[in-house]
Amino acid sequence: MAKEQMMTGCRASAEGAKAAEVEVICSFPIRPYTAIMMELAKMVANGELNAEFLHGEGEHAQLSVVLGASASGARAFTGSSGVGVTYAMEIYSPMSGGRYPAQMAIADRTLDPPGDFGSEHTDAMCTRDQGWLLGWADSPQEVYDNTLIYYRVGEDHRVMLPQMVCQEGYFISHIPDKVVLGERSQVKEFLPPYRPIGPLSLTHPVSHGPQIRPDQGAPMDAARAQTFLAVPKVIEEATADFNRIFGRKYDPFVEQYKLADAEIAFFIMGAHSNTCRTSVDRLRKQGVKAGMARLRWVRPWPTHQLAEALGHVKAIGVVETSTSYGGAMRGGNLIHELRASLYDLDQRPLVTSFMAGLGGETIWPADFDHMAKVLTEMVKEKKTRNYVHWIGM
Amino acid sequence: MQAFNYKFQQFEPLKSFKCVPEPEVYVPGHRTCAGCGPALNYRLVAKAAGQDTIFIGPTGCMYVANSSYLCTPYACSWIHAQITNGGAVASGIEAAFKVLARKGKHTGPFPNVIVMAGDGGSVDIGLQAMSGLMYRNHKVLFICYDNESYANTGIQTSPMTPYGAATTFTPPGKEIPEGKTLFPKDAPQLVIGGHPAVKYVATTTVALPLDLMNKVRKALSQPGPTFLHMLAPCPKGWLFPEHLTREMARLAVETGMWSMYEWENGAYKYTNVPKKYKPVNEYMKHQGRFAHLKPEHIAKMQAFIDERIKNVKERIPIPIPTPKQTA
Repeated sequence: MAKEQMMTGCRASAEGAKAAEVEVICSFPIRPYTAIMMELAKMVANGELNAEFLHGEGEHAQLSVVLGASASGARAFTGSSGVGVTYAMEIYSPMSGGRYPAQMAIADRTLDPPGDFGSEHTDAMCTRDQGWLLGWADSPQEVYDNTLIYYRVGEDHRVMLPQMVCQEGYFISHIPDKVVLGERSQVKEFLPPYRPIGPLSLTHPVSHGPQIRPDQGAPMDAARAQTFLAVPKVIEEATADFNRIFGRKYDPFVEQYKLADAEIAFFIMGAHSNTCRTSVDRLRKQGVKAGMARLRWVRPWPTHQLAEALGHVKAIGVVETSTSYGGAMRGGNLIHELRASLYDLDQRPLVTSFMAGLGGETIWPADFDHMAKVLTEMVKEKKTRNYVHWIGM
Repeated sequence: MQAFNYKFQQFEPLKSFKCVPEPEVYVPGHRTCAGCGPALNYRLVAKAAGQDTIFIGPTGCMYVANSSYLCTPYACSWIHAQITNGGAVASGIEAAFKVLARKGKHTGPFPNVIVMAGDGGSVDIGLQAMSGLMYRNHKVLFICYDNESYANTGIQTSPMTPYGAATTFTPPGKEIPEGKTLFPKDAPQLVIGGHPAVKYVATTTVALPLDLMNKVRKALSQPGPTFLHMLAPCPKGWLFPEHLTREMARLAVETGMWSMYEWENGAYKYTNVPKKYKPVNEYMKHQGRFAHLKPEHIAKMQAFIDERIKNVKERIPIPIPTPKQTA
């Protein structure tokens, strides 16, 4: 059995890509994800990884390069952070619409202005309607694991979609943690080689991405939506296989921490869930029946799984680390979708949101204590006074 | 990367029209205008390159009018790219075939990877991706089919639109009588001037089909990036009768509005240089886009062209040193 090593999320991401034997890599420097590419560049230079390593002239080019590579039948890998993610915006829809299952590693970062290196979910969350698979890891270990799981799901012929494997900048990307890398045999058993459908070929000529008439658009959009309905089953299979082969215990969609008898719950994703977990423990000692639901996939959104996991809770606080200015709930994004997921329940929990960790700020244990107090008051009053609470101001 | 012997295709020059390969690779199915220069261009390029080709088609006339769902005119593989990123998508395709060949997943000849981009997709919004491709030494042929405007959106000016041309973004009026006031970019010079990896650059037109096909074949026989600039007259955009497409291209060469040359290993070779250049108005007078110009505007154009063809006679100096090919 492989032993534990200390490594950052960036290194774990590169190790995941290496384990997946990615064939075309395209880089462009931007903090903090760029350390992933530094690691991969060394692996290619040392001959540990038989891949083409291209220096893209920007994030737009990075995405375009992996699109071309994926269309040609190569397993392709790229990544970015912050404004780099948004610079490539044009290419996300052609990638998913063309059904090119390349992967993008995100170490997230705030958008400008002002220039800020801090972590925030806002960058990759901007792409959530572009037809990609998308989710956050909560540790370097999960970054490594997700790299393999996302390729397996994305390249499944029932899916064929590009994937964004996200981690928090700095909190995950640059703080070393214990990671167990998979054995070659484990990876081989879990992740079959990429088998493209109708790739660019000399022997079987194909046309990719021709122009359509408006009346041909709706069926194609519907087909994409239909595909997303099929993804959850593939995720369940892949997670079960991963847990079996690698000895992990992932819930496919939502990590449920002390939720079964919880009265109040935090709904969260990514690195801050680590502080949240210890806060739940502390609150429990104080007699507060707190719990945590951690989202593992933003796309596809696990509507029914969330309703099942959180339906019995009295008040939910959505910890938002991204912004949706002028949105229905006046703050973040996740609350919109969580509220919609709970809407059909006979007894709906109260749901509010906490804008926390913005600009890369740490969410402290005391912040979770404060949030718990707000949620407890909501339970007492049986009312959501405010849609949004700004934390750490 | 490890030394690996890719099976790059090599092409013999076509000595005469009798030697031109019979199979058509660009076949019926497109919806371009009558007399379309770029469509004629495409057919000749595809014929010269043959079946073992992958075309990258950035958005432009040759996407919108050419590539309708379920009836594209390509008998080889083709992929759409955004108008922005033809060079980058081609880079990814070339890189993929290299690694797949190394791993034994692709056998057979290495594909001719050809970007067919309009002038905007080459040297305006597509410039960055094109430059990245040229810099990174990919074995890709980038073709700019130049119809001197954003034509499929309704004839808007591009950086390749000549001075004095009326377009829907440069309409002549009381305040701006000449319509377009700026002079165009020089596409091949942009490539030659800053990309040491580039192996071969040439200009050609649809008026000289054999020359065009041979330049394609020469470009495809190089081990690295190459660039061809092709003048492709547009009856709808330039406002001339559609049976005069080749005639316009011929007149462009005869007046010096278009120069025919090859650039290889740092040296220029000019061809089709007229003994005596015709005045530019011999070319401009046939085209409605110049109909509003006054004599002083035509004189301004003549002065610009005189300056440019002076360079043809003097031979342009080598702008940057080119590394010699090593085995």
